[in-house]
Amino acid sequence: MAKTILAVDDSGSLRQMVAFSLKAAGYDVVSAVDGQDGLNKAKERTVDLVLTDQNMPIMDGLTLIKNLRELGSYQKVPILMLTTESSDEMKAKGKAAGANGWLVKPFDPKRLIEVVQKVIG
Amino acid sequence: MGHDVMEMNKLPIHELRTLLAAVASHGDQHLVEVESDLQQTAFLLNEAIEKLSTSFMKIHDLIAQQHNLLTTSGQFDEAMTFALEEYQTKIGDEVNSVVTGMQFQDMTNQLLHRTINRVNGLKELLQELAEHGYDKDANREHEDITRFLASIHETLHSGSHALSGNLRKAVGQQDMATGDIDLF
Repeated sequence: MAKTILAVDDSGSLRQMVAFSLKAAGYDVVSAVDGQDGLNKAKERTVDLVLTDQNMPIMDGLTLIKNLRELGSYQKVPILMLTTESSDEMKAKGKAAGANGWLVKPFDPKRLIEVVQKVIG
Repeated sequence: MGHDVMEMNKLPIHELRTLLAAVASHGDQHLVEVESDLQQTAFLLNEAIEKLSTSFMKIHDLIAQQHNLLTTSGQFDEAMTFALEEYQTKIGDEVNSVVTGMQFQDMTNQLLHRTINRVNGLKELLQELAEHGYDKDANREHEDITRFLASIHETLHSGSHALSGNLRKAVGQQDMATGDIDLF
């Protein structure tokens, strides 16, 4: 059975590119348009990995991670940030919030898949 | 003569207010145009990337179907099959490159919206400049004008500082090279 990845990004083109890359590698993808939408979709089902942007309207990525980590079912689920933010300060905040990795945009699909495979197989 | 000296010592507050209002009005007109152009650019970029993405996905699907058709037809010898696989690999590399390149819209969109927010902040500052001093008495002493101008400067400085603080730059990328990956 294919593993499911929740991809959260407010940019339509980014959601499309992420879903395209992950589906081509055999993963199921659930997309969300912001942190709140991501949190709602994460509560509806359990996913194997969350890939989230940082700067989004309504709820940003760091807040989403903190909210997910408070849910019992998401304490161990890997969460990766995929964002334009590249400062050490932001990465430290991500790590403190509970992120398992930080990918700076733009991403290369091949490298993204390698990381996802390394994290969830 | 005594009357003239008194007139000279009066502050030109009215003229100053008129000047500030004119500066604010001209500035606002230009900024309205800048904001409009930026929004139009963001809209066009969004439309373009949607069309490009849709066409790209369709081309990718069609190439995959064509490849399957050719490889399952059984009409090719080993050398031709090898050549087809090589083409498939090269197409895959180009597809990855396109996916990386198409992410430009996400970054340019963030930069454009940051610029639009800065333009809006500047418009508010100009509005404040135009309204500043409406409560001033036109018969103030000359030294008051220094305090008046210092007050305008302080208002603009704190407004500008607040604007910069609210507009942290989230996109530092200078090219489309792929970003770093850190696993914690």
